[in-house]
Amino acid sequence: MRLPMCVLALAAFTLAPAQEEEKEKDIDNPHHGKQEMVEAGRKLYLNSCSACHGPTGEGGRGPGLIKSGMIRGASNRRLFTTIKDGVRGSDMPPSTLDDGKIWQIVTFVKYLNAPAYETSAAGNADAGERLFFGKAGCVECHSIRGRGGVLGPDLSGAGLTRTYAHLRESLLNPDERPTDGYQGVSIQLKSGRRVEGVARNQTNYSLQVLDAKGGLHLLSSLDIEQVSFRKGSLMPGDYKTRLSKSEIDDLLAFLSRQVIRVPEKEK
Amino acid sequence: MSARCWMLLAAAAVLSAQVRYEDILKGPSADWITYAGDYAGQRHSPLKQITVENAGHVVPKWFHSLEGAKRLECVPLVKDGVMYFTDSNTVVALDARTGRRIWRYKDEQVKRQDVNRGVALLGSRLYFVTSDAHLVALDAKTGGVHWSVSYAETKKGYFATVAPFAVKNLIIVGVSGGDSGMRGFVAAYHAETGKEVWRTYTIPARGEPGSETWGDLTVDWGGAGTWLSGTYDPALNLIYWTTGNPWPDFYGGDRKGDNLYSDSVIALDPDSGKMKWYFQFTPHDVWDWDAQSWPVLIDMEFNGRMRKVLLHANRNGFFYVLDRVTGEFLRATPYLDKLTWASGVDAKGRPILVPGMEPTPNGKVVCPSIRGGTNWMSHSYNPATGLLYFPTVEQCDVFTSSSKHPEPMKNFAGTGVEAIPKDPGKFYLRALDPKTGKRRWEYPMTGDTSMWAGTVSTAGGVVFFGDDDGHLVAVDARDGRHLWHFNTGQRLTASPITYEVGGKQYVAIAAASGVFAFGLFEPAVSVPPLKISDSR
Repeated sequence: MRLPMCVLALAAFTLAPAQEEEKEKDIDNPHHGKQEMVEAGRKLYLNSCSACHGPTGEGGRGPGLIKSGMIRGASNRRLFTTIKDGVRGSDMPPSTLDDGKIWQIVTFVKYLNAPAYETSAAGNADAGERLFFGKAGCVECHSIRGRGGVLGPDLSGAGLTRTYAHLRESLLNPDERPTDGYQGVSIQLKSGRRVEGVARNQTNYSLQVLDAKGGLHLLSSLDIEQVSFRKGSLMPGDYKTRLSKSEIDDLLAFLSRQVIRVPEKEK
Repeated sequence: MSARCWMLLAAAAVLSAQVRYEDILKGPSADWITYAGDYAGQRHSPLKQITVENAGHVVPKWFHSLEGAKRLECVPLVKDGVMYFTDSNTVVALDARTGRRIWRYKDEQVKRQDVNRGVALLGSRLYFVTSDAHLVALDAKTGGVHWSVSYAETKKGYFATVAPFAVKNLIIVGVSGGDSGMRGFVAAYHAETGKEVWRTYTIPARGEPGSETWGDLTVDWGGAGTWLSGTYDPALNLIYWTTGNPWPDFYGGDRKGDNLYSDSVIALDPDSGKMKWYFQFTPHDVWDWDAQSWPVLIDMEFNGRMRKVLLHANRNGFFYVLDRVTGEFLRATPYLDKLTWASGVDAKGRPILVPGMEPTPNGKVVCPSIRGGTNWMSHSYNPATGLLYFPTVEQCDVFTSSSKHPEPMKNFAGTGVEAIPKDPGKFYLRALDPKTGKRRWEYPMTGDTSMWAGTVSTAGGVVFFGDDDGHLVAVDARDGRHLWHFNTGQRLTASPITYEVGGKQYVAIAAASGVFAFGLFEPAVSVPPLKISDSR
């Protein structure tokens, strides 16, 4: 049986010679930034790579290509040669495609890992803004440029700090990748007072809790009677049913446009 | 409990991070809410739990290591038990009792990585500058971004390290870059909106008075950076900002004249940015002696009458007393033993130059060295002792120059200096009586003359300072007697602060890779494991 060609072996990226190779001057991707090449690469990827790496790079038999940061930090040279030559000692075979097509796959895999701002989200960002600050209720917990709640991560720069896939996953499956410092907590103090909020930090000796009104509670464990952590994310898990498909696209389009400053190359 | 219920619940007692202008006006308290501790720049805290008698019982309380940090130069600020400190393009909020992190903000888009001197607090926000000169407003509770504005362009030679300065509803910033060509300025931004309110250049525009003190190229690129935060007299409504060296640093042939307003202190109206007066310490500087050392505002008797004065131990080796209402020169006295470039100061405050002390192509030995007799590391003043405390280095350098045509932003400073291996120099903490300009006492340090750490004074009668060997040291403010020291094991390039949380006084300093906090020894209390019930 012919093995899928894009089984990128994670181990290959951690070997010392590979790291040294990264220091060499990189080669240019002739298709970089061309949307039609992303689409062409997507088709090739679905035919040749997705069986092992998953249709959206989420992984499977082969390693995931979107969460580890492995692809984001990899050079063009490394991606190209890994696909072209395969990875010896793994299930990743050499490719039989011509160089142009391999570059198309590289373009698509890079696209999967690009900040959301650099991808072309399908939805309507203006409609997404109305959802964010209105019906979807995001603003109750998340802020953008000082407007909104505090119990969820600030999203003012979400378009550059997260990939589109990450945003989508956070919206639709928030328990998959909870953000550090935002676990819901309820604390019964020995004084009888109760504190509810998110645990920004926690050790055996102290807790730093932010409540819904932005009050910080810097608590010593000696003052605490009982602590209860919320299982899973505070983020509601029902957006995939609460919002329509187009509303989800709109919201993601809006979030993808959020940057603190416009990237230099666009000025 | 539903997520929505969680959101709506709020506990009764909260710590507000609100810093009102009136709070800063009140001066130092349990908190440390502005770069200098107070608007007068005295860096003197009313806290007195740590005293001359018990300073020997000070012990480390916590250390917060910041990943990637190699040379922290910030002054941490503390408000309501939360500490804020910075590194390049990074701000961290900590629990000031435990050192545990509450949030971290990092601007990953910035390519430059320069040192950073700290934040300003005002309202519910904090403000800091990125290395590429963006002024950023963050929510003090969460680290969320409110706004970010570019206030200077790196392609025009600018970068930024300054701790912003909050006055009224304005956030005031300065710029770095004066060693390779730029035109310095101080600018004010509206704290709420981020809109620029005024901008005052430290080099006059072509045709303006003072522009004739520069050359054709240098009038546009002459430096005079503004990289140290200011001090402020609310009664006079004047802010005092120091300016950096003229460029090229070591060759003056392309800038024949006094090079106004480099190496000066300028008094600005905070509402308009208009310059009310200036005083230039080192006209036509060719030794890179920026005036960025601490301007301290006190009222004191001078020649039989009370005066509002500005104290300034300058990098050029002289200690100045100025009338801060008018800028009138009152007195200058050398605070160094090794001072060779000037024989004194005339009646107007202008240095009396010793001939032949300019840098030459073959090199000229001049004292003080390029770093000056003191520098931007913080100075402090104790009203009870009436003494000014500041780190001093006795050191000389070989200064060289070149008449090569300067090109802005090519990192050409007209050449530079070489150290003198057989005379490496020595640091002292010195206490000066501003009334006389005379040294009251000094505390010699060991080390390799690489430090840049400052001082803080307390009502407990203790002066804390970082020494040249990586120790935080406590001495008696009256006579400099050693009380306590702690080896941080790191190079110190920042200034200590003191604050109080939960009725306990702390002293903190940013070291190379993180922040240390100290307090009086207390026996440990056994902490049982937290009772954690299963979540709902």
